[in-house]
Amino acid sequence: MRTIGLVLTLVLSSTLTGALDAQDVRPRLDGRVSPEVQRAVQRIAADAAAQGLPIDPLVQKAIEGAAKGVPGDRVIAAVRALAGRLGQSMAAVREGGVSTPGGDIVEGGADALNAGLTGREVSDLVRVSQPPQDPTLTLRVAATLAALGVPAKQVLTLLQGLISDGRSQSDLLGLPGQVQTGVAQGATPAQAAAGLARAAGGLPPGRNPDWVPPGQRKPKNPHKP
Amino acid sequence: MKTFDLRVKQLLDGDLSLADLPPELRAEGEAALRLLAAVDRTPVTLSPALDARVMAVVRQHATKSPAQRAWRWLNTPRDLELRLRVRPWTVWAGALAAAAALALLLGRAAPAPVPGVQARGGTHDSVLVRFVLYAPGAHRVAVAGTFNQWDRGAALLVPAGTSGVWTTTLALPIGQHQYAFVVDGARWVSDPGAPAVDDGFGRRNSVVAVTAQGAHL
Repeated sequence: MRTIGLVLTLVLSSTLTGALDAQDVRPRLDGRVSPEVQRAVQRIAADAAAQGLPIDPLVQKAIEGAAKGVPGDRVIAAVRALAGRLGQSMAAVREGGVSTPGGDIVEGGADALNAGLTGREVSDLVRVSQPPQDPTLTLRVAATLAALGVPAKQVLTLLQGLISDGRSQSDLLGLPGQVQTGVAQGATPAQAAAGLARAAGGLPPGRNPDWVPPGQRKPKNPHKP
Repeated sequence: MKTFDLRVKQLLDGDLSLADLPPELRAEGEAALRLLAAVDRTPVTLSPALDARVMAVVRQHATKSPAQRAWRWLNTPRDLELRLRVRPWTVWAGALAAAAALALLLGRAAPAPVPGVQARGGTHDSVLVRFVLYAPGAHRVAVAGTFNQWDRGAALLVPAGTSGVWTTTLALPIGQHQYAFVVDGARWVSDPGAPAVDDGFGRRNSVVAVTAQGAHL
């Protein structure tokens, strides 16, 4: 009986929190989006809040769509897709070992998913980001690297290698800029990232010395006929 | 000034990729991208003591009237030699009395903390980030993003001479931000010098990560 009461209380409090969060959405959208979009985003935000997902990114996406003059139905679709990614990110972050993830890490995971990483890769990055590493920062760097065109698997191995090598957070933050510099000098994003992995002192863990990142051709073996 | 082919400009605007350019224009496109990447995007970090130094100079220049000059003459510290002949025990007694008075004053006058007036200045929670766009022929360029609720008129860039380069510096809160440039109030352009992600509407948003150490593209 006591257990049922506890469950009911949790469900009710979760629903109430969701309703309150959804009410907060309305004034933020007033005058910025059409009434149709406002109603739809309120519903999506209420569902998201009930699942413990952050609602601020949803509001931002709706405002962004309206500012860019995107038709209402496409704005609603984009907000709904983002809510889906936030849910997927929440699951992946929990799978990575963070039992009660905050809004920032969930948003970071959703950004990484949007940039092309899979849920499993997000989980792996969270798992490897043990203190003093911040998993939110790792996910954001991963999202940025993937957005620059570094293949997702290579992003994962590069970051795993650097973190297990004991690199600092500011080392990780500098990676996207270094990849951009490499690209500006004529390398592909994959080549630039591979160069960083080599410069960092070796190969990602578990790789043979002749390992080359995905998307790159292995050098010809001069001893082979 | 070098004039780029229209398709190279589209490449810089993010409308085309390098692979979309015809082979004869790729070298020019790569040169343009290298030129743009060379633009200094180092975040501007102002010394915390800058305000004090600027205000000291302003105050120095402001005192021009005779009355102010007289006050300054009266108020300027000068070396003054004062010789006293005292017995040591009187010095110790005076010091103890001063310490007791100070302790009493501090105990009574310690103010209660007032919410909302703590020094929570922008310099502690935000970092100055410079935005640059090469947009020759544009009449108006703004930057809109998650940091200003995607407001097309909130942050205008100013042209740097007649070179076609537009720039502005904004104080951004620490965190990751998505943004795009708005050219002539209607055309949304991603930053060719920054990584970009799908915005969910068929366009690309640029990404900047702002940390206490600076901005990271």
